[in-house]
Amino acid sequence: MDLGLIVYALNLASIYALMALGISILWSSVGMINMAHGATFAASGYAAWIVTGALKPIIIAAFGKTTLATIIIASTLIGSAILAGALCGIIIYLLAFLPIHDKPNYPVRSLIITLALNIGAVQALLWYFGPRNRGLPKIFGFGRWEIWETKIRYDQAGVIIGASVVIIATLAWLRFSRRGLEVRAMMQNYEGAAYCGISRQSTALPVLMLTGALAGMAAALLSQTIFVSPTAGVIPLLKGLAIALLGGLGSVGGAVVGAILIGFIEAIVGAIPFLGQRYVYFAGFSFIILVLIFRPRGIGGLLDATRE
Amino acid sequence: MTKKLYHKVGRRPWEYKLKPDGSLARNRLRLPLTSRHWLKWRDEYNPKTLKRERRLDDKKPLWWSIGLLAFVLTVPFLSNSLISVAAIFCIYASINVLWTLIIGTAGIFSLATLAVVGVSGYLAAASNVYLGLPWPFMLLVGPLVGFLAGSILAAPSTRLDGLYYALLTMGVAEICRIYVSQLRSLTQTSGAITQVDSFIPEDWFLQRPGLLLGFAGAFSLLLGSLLLWRLINSERLGLLLRTAKTGREDEAFAEAVGIDFRRARLMVFVLSSSALGLVGAFYAMYFKSISPTIFSLDQLLLLFAMMVIGGLGRAEGATVGAAIVTIIDKGLIELGPLRIILVAVIMLVVTIFAREGLTGARDQFRDFRKRKSGERRAQRTEKGGEAMPEEAIEVQDKQELFYRRFNKRLRERLKSLITPALIAEHKADPLGHHSDNLARVLNYFRRGEMADKYVIMRLKDGEERYRIMAVSGVRGLSPRVVDDREYDDLNDAYHAVFILRVNDLMES
Repeated sequence: MDLGLIVYALNLASIYALMALGISILWSSVGMINMAHGATFAASGYAAWIVTGALKPIIIAAFGKTTLATIIIASTLIGSAILAGALCGIIIYLLAFLPIHDKPNYPVRSLIITLALNIGAVQALLWYFGPRNRGLPKIFGFGRWEIWETKIRYDQAGVIIGASVVIIATLAWLRFSRRGLEVRAMMQNYEGAAYCGISRQSTALPVLMLTGALAGMAAALLSQTIFVSPTAGVIPLLKGLAIALLGGLGSVGGAVVGAILIGFIEAIVGAIPFLGQRYVYFAGFSFIILVLIFRPRGIGGLLDATRE
Repeated sequence: MTKKLYHKVGRRPWEYKLKPDGSLARNRLRLPLTSRHWLKWRDEYNPKTLKRERRLDDKKPLWWSIGLLAFVLTVPFLSNSLISVAAIFCIYASINVLWTLIIGTAGIFSLATLAVVGVSGYLAAASNVYLGLPWPFMLLVGPLVGFLAGSILAAPSTRLDGLYYALLTMGVAEICRIYVSQLRSLTQTSGAITQVDSFIPEDWFLQRPGLLLGFAGAFSLLLGSLLLWRLINSERLGLLLRTAKTGREDEAFAEAVGIDFRRARLMVFVLSSSALGLVGAFYAMYFKSISPTIFSLDQLLLLFAMMVIGGLGRAEGATVGAAIVTIIDKGLIELGPLRIILVAVIMLVVTIFAREGLTGARDQFRDFRKRKSGERRAQRTEKGGEAMPEEAIEVQDKQELFYRRFNKRLRERLKSLITPALIAEHKADPLGHHSDNLARVLNYFRRGEMADKYVIMRLKDGEERYRIMAVSGVRGLSPRVVDDREYDDLNDAYHAVFILRVNDLMES
């Protein structure tokens, strides 16, 4: 196995980990399977496209074609994507959490509402922007490094580094901040958390905004490799969901491990000559099914009976 | 004298009730070969009218027959495109009813329904096109493949639960789609098998008689799946599954009483998968082709939206939802992508407001009304000695109820009369000529029940030492001492009794 393959695998893994982490945190703390994660992904991609499209000429006029301008463009792109993702999180909070979180049948109903949001948002994007792919400015520039006779493209390196930074920041937030403590308490037992005075309603909002922002970050990073389109969110959603389940819903470490595993499997299967790109999905899903049959709650998940 | 106005009381004033002739014997129609009846009539005796009445207990079969009959009678008068919409509705509705059987009755959250339909449709079509099997045999191949696929898919369902199984089945559907669309022999048709032989003759295809024939087939498919639903749910299998319906406790209970609910679930799963296989074969025949879109996520989500809008886990929900979504999706094609947004909005609104979809709205409304009327009743009857309505039913002597109500109102009135001035008046002259208000209060006290009535006891004859006691109210049971205080003056004792009674009144 050469280094290029590892870089490619890590590249895939970091995007998947961003998506899976959001789904996993959301499920374990708020108890919601967020099917609108894909729509958040696509919507933040479009938001970044609109904002950078509007601001790029102004920035270039102000700073010229310097490194500073590139940095400012990169930060507006990532910032707008994250902001749009957080906004989508607020919308999801208002529609799929707040009205029904204390009503009967909440997990299934929130799943259905987010699914409806996903369908509606994707179709609305398709209706408004049309099915054409949109390219975002390349913030990491074109070019590649040569390390140990392997070429690493700038965008791959940027994606890996950016995703790692965001994931580590999220985990640190969960570990060290006051809110993070509340979220972790809700992950363990939300009734117990409620007895300790942790409000489910007020904790759910930052969690939804955070997971939305993670999806936005994933969209901004993936837009460096592929284009933005209304249906761009479907594959990341499915992959994120599958990996969150593979890692065990609610297990943050499991989600990261699962993402790395799936990234490597896809990279390796894609590189094997007689299998090729066509069997990438096939291999990924088969692996997940196999793992789930032997460990029904995923890699890091515990059975409810064990948990109790 | 004006005529007295009577208001209707009770929950269902307009329910239709037959008035059978008591001297005639009744014949009840039974389903052939069983001891079941067509409709669930119940005889009751109305204590108000003193007459026998007959009432329909379960009106669902009636609504089903009326609805299906009206539907099948309207379709022949529709335009060609609407007939095909009706046929597609029938196919979707039957898939949904079978899916409801899996999700609702068996409680297995499977998303591989369309995958089973697709796989059996593909294999049935392939056996017809490539092996030259005549079309009636496709209706055998389909269920057989469905049975096999169902058996394979059902195996992990006992180990995985809920979302994990849903994901696994979604993965299976995705794998099927990728596999079919990458088959080398089908590349020139982009994965579709075309030219499938059908029960619709070649020259009738897409003509009016052909469309009507197709509709007839689809409608009988819908009837068949509804029949399967009814059979499973009303027989032993449904009973076993209802015992283990919700939650871990129910499952534990079912296990404890010796019900193998896992086996029952697998049986329902395999049965409905076989039926889905039949639907798949029919699908291939109806369209004379089958393409990989049947495995696609969009199609799956559309079907799921139908079930959700109608109500998850109910046959009528699956059918009503299929009708609504099919009308929007196929009937309003000129709206473009807007119609999917419309479906999503309906789904959103229904799920936010309705607990169990549109068909569950009635029950939800009833629960809501019951809760509200309970709240209102609780507000009406702060108790205060008065009988609660539930209690009032039990009390035989209705005079007692009115006395209690009168007493409560009287106490309310007297409480408002008691002021410091009143108490001061009594203290000044316990036995004198009193004001109207004080006289009323004292009159009430005098009329009180014997039990716990306060009395003054002279401690020793000839001495002015008094104590207050309370009478037990039971013959032979001596009175109890209320407190240790002794009074040297009879008037003080009178006033102390008065204060005690006032306290009791204010606390009541």
